[in-house]
Amino acid sequence: MLTPTHADLVAIAPEIILTITAGLLLIVEAFLPGLRRHFSGLAMVGVLAAIWARLHFELPGAVWAGMMQIDELAAFVDIYILVAVIFTIAMAGPFLRRTETEVGEFYALILLATVGAMVMASSVNLLPIFLGLELLSIPLYVLNAFLRRSQVSVEAGLKYFVVGAVASAFLVYGIALLYGATASTDLAVIGSQVASSGQLNPLVAIGLAMIVGGLAFKLALVPCHAWAPDVYQGGPTPVTAFLAVVPKGAALIVLLRLADGMDLLHISPQWVAAAAGIAVASQTLGNIVAIVQSDVKRMLAYSGIAHMGYAMVAVIVAGADGGAAVLVYLVAYTLMNMGAFASIAMLSEREDRPHFINDLRGQGYKRPIVALALTTCLFSLAGVPPFIGFTAKFVVFRAAVNEGFVWLAVIGVVNSLVSAFYYLRVVYAMYMQPLPRREPKFQFSFQIATAAAVAALGVLILGIYPTPILEAAQTAILVLVR
Amino acid sequence: MDQHLLFLLTLSPTIFAILLLPIPKHWKRVHRVVTLIGSTVIFAVSTRLWTGFNPDNPAFQFVDQHQWIPQFGISIHVGLDGISLLLVLLTTLLLPVVVLAAWSLNIEHIKSLHITFLLLATGMMGTFVSLDLFLFYIFWEITLIPMYFIIGVWGGPRRIYAAVKFFIFTMVGSVLMLVAILYLGWFHHQQTGVWSYDYLDFLQTAPLLSVSGGWLAPGLLVFAAFALAFAIKVPIFPFHTWLPDAHVEAPTTGSVLLAGVLLKMGAYGFMRFNRALLPDAWDIFVPLILALAVIGIIYGALVAMVQPDVKKLVAYSSVSHMGFVMLGLAAGTQASTQGAVLQMVNHGLTTGALFLLVGMIYERTYTRLIADFGGLATVMPVYTGIFLVVTLGSIGLPGLNGFVGEFLILAGAWQNYPLAVVLAGLGIILGAVYMLWMVQRIFWGPLDNPKNEGLSDIRFRELMVVAPLLVLIVWIGIYPTTFLNPMEAAVRLLLAR
Repeated sequence: MLTPTHADLVAIAPEIILTITAGLLLIVEAFLPGLRRHFSGLAMVGVLAAIWARLHFELPGAVWAGMMQIDELAAFVDIYILVAVIFTIAMAGPFLRRTETEVGEFYALILLATVGAMVMASSVNLLPIFLGLELLSIPLYVLNAFLRRSQVSVEAGLKYFVVGAVASAFLVYGIALLYGATASTDLAVIGSQVASSGQLNPLVAIGLAMIVGGLAFKLALVPCHAWAPDVYQGGPTPVTAFLAVVPKGAALIVLLRLADGMDLLHISPQWVAAAAGIAVASQTLGNIVAIVQSDVKRMLAYSGIAHMGYAMVAVIVAGADGGAAVLVYLVAYTLMNMGAFASIAMLSEREDRPHFINDLRGQGYKRPIVALALTTCLFSLAGVPPFIGFTAKFVVFRAAVNEGFVWLAVIGVVNSLVSAFYYLRVVYAMYMQPLPRREPKFQFSFQIATAAAVAALGVLILGIYPTPILEAAQTAILVLVR
Repeated sequence: MDQHLLFLLTLSPTIFAILLLPIPKHWKRVHRVVTLIGSTVIFAVSTRLWTGFNPDNPAFQFVDQHQWIPQFGISIHVGLDGISLLLVLLTTLLLPVVVLAAWSLNIEHIKSLHITFLLLATGMMGTFVSLDLFLFYIFWEITLIPMYFIIGVWGGPRRIYAAVKFFIFTMVGSVLMLVAILYLGWFHHQQTGVWSYDYLDFLQTAPLLSVSGGWLAPGLLVFAAFALAFAIKVPIFPFHTWLPDAHVEAPTTGSVLLAGVLLKMGAYGFMRFNRALLPDAWDIFVPLILALAVIGIIYGALVAMVQPDVKKLVAYSSVSHMGFVMLGLAAGTQASTQGAVLQMVNHGLTTGALFLLVGMIYERTYTRLIADFGGLATVMPVYTGIFLVVTLGSIGLPGLNGFVGEFLILAGAWQNYPLAVVLAGLGIILGAVYMLWMVQRIFWGPLDNPKNEGLSDIRFRELMVVAPLLVLIVWIGIYPTTFLNPMEAAVRLLLAR
């Protein structure tokens, strides 16, 4: 029986704070439902306290008998996840009030999913990684179906559940195989065994393939991407924003830990070929299919598939350069998506109907701030300077070129060119086409507009001055590659 | 002050754009006045670059460097040599001109128009002064967004198509340039062990890239990636198809900046990067560039000849004129290169003036079809005179600016490439044909369209708009030394590499 030490508990203080907040929300919901208006504030306080705790307490390194590694990397990922959650909660409040679904469970589930993602990203043992993944996924099944009266939302929840269950099965089976091959679930032990053997034996290769497959579902990488458009389109927009960012971040970190620990780049040309194939296929399919979408959220789903393809390039390169590139890309991806989804959460009339790009016509002058925020985020997603999306692509492709993958960089930049085409469609609908005859009624929300504007400002400022993010990412990744 | 002058000057339009933000959008006059004052001040300050510039020094002057992304060896590094000096001044000169030209336009979103203008100005100037390739790339790409909006929001009926085409075409070229820049950075690290994307560092290592070993030699691929970006921007035949669409749909002010400055960014890139960084690959590519330049000269002229729309005619004439610039660069002698740089300025002045003049008549008649005009000389004598001077400048009448540039290019190219010169000379003749024919159909003959009878002649404000360009057109024609002098040393250094 493992008895937690004081250091163990302090190390997961943010997770504990979030769990307590979630429990508190459920209790208040049960006994004082009149306070519902303040739930988002309460959840926000919990998240801010968690950020404070992560920044305030010393980073102890290995805790919980070496199962978790609370170091600079964990801190970087935790804070990035928590910032994403702040955006989610900020847009959730007005959104839930508008759709008359504001209850405490929503925030409680978001916070529990957050804990899951944080555990997943800071664990160095396959068992807590799996626990984290489940804790992350189960609340999301519910959250996607949160708009009970909307068929598409229920459908989204069900789809995500079925796909998620399959992904979990893959992951568990992969873990079992790796355990069988190496007699350990510890990533460091597995990594050093595999790396020193200099090759992937069949058992390890199959186990790894299953784990990557399971994670690929969460990342919506080709060929495990098919759920993404329907789930993105159907789920409540704040949940979609969360779903687009947080699980993908956690899954990428796990993938990076695996790839880097086993030194896959150098010992396994099969891995490089397979991963590069996945990256190229995700980019190409995501971008090309996005062109024909008429629904903004579906379009962003395909764009997300493509973006994870770019991030995969950095995972392949791994090491100090590639690892830092993964982290920078995550930060960029989070800000751009949060800004975009916040804008869409506001520029939406009814949740059970599609979010047509055509409905955005003329909004550039009707809702200047939100439209400008959305435009900024879309240009950034397309990789146009001076926004952070460009900086992130620069860092990723720089890592690829430096490691000799010039061709991956070429495919990547050509893909971002293709992507410009569909991002521009939204921009020109907003600015260059007149308002439609039947003007959609978009409810203005100061809170959502602020969230969108803050995200867009972040996209601009960190795009012009990316040095702090780069520095933090490089420090964080040093603990992994040391 | 001189120490940070260049960087501050580059940023200053953005600062003015930020100043415009809090002003309410229905105060249209305030926006116009602030932008006009701002751009005039920027031009006035930029003359300090001219007076403070030492023409005998071929190195970069007004150099300014600030730390930016030290992890990758990227810094904010700007500087000016004789070539960029002229282009920066051309940019700052055209700024107040276009602002004044848009003065009376009765269009929507005046505030946004002025903000996009100013942001575009920062991008254009930054492109010409950057000495770090990361910085250069950012400025280069930044110009896309404002221009996309200028064409797409304030343009003609097919504006969305033109705007998207402009954006996508330009981006096609530049994304591969990004990979080339990354590759050069990696190569620099291989050679020296230091991470850098600085132009002056690349000058040392990039020429070492191998160009032998077939078409996949790294030097040639890097050259091709840069060349594609610049060829689309110039535009060199056959990459020119975005240009007529963009020009015809863009509002007058957009066309002026597009022709006056944005196209120069391409030719400038060829000199600054392809020629200076990759001289060996340049030598291999010269025949191709020459051929495309000559094709562009003749093709542009032939297509211009049959255009029914004045603006489209001027747009195709740009293809022809930029062909001369590329011919001068490819010929690679001191005279032809200096001629090419001067011709860039000339083209900015004359084509800019032509677009302004076409815009004035469009504001009066809402048509640009040559067939709708005829005999305008009787109702608009002063306008006709100015139009004629600019036309003659454009087709290279001795005593006006076009002649000097074209003469230098052709004379300089003669010793090495006589055939190209002969063919280009044909282009000059064709140029005279289509321009004069257009003038004849618009201004001479009977005034047969009754709608044109009441047209007013050029107004004082409009005269002020074209006056600075006219002065320079004559000045360069009579005494080009003023402008050839400062770039001589820089061109000599460029060709010595």
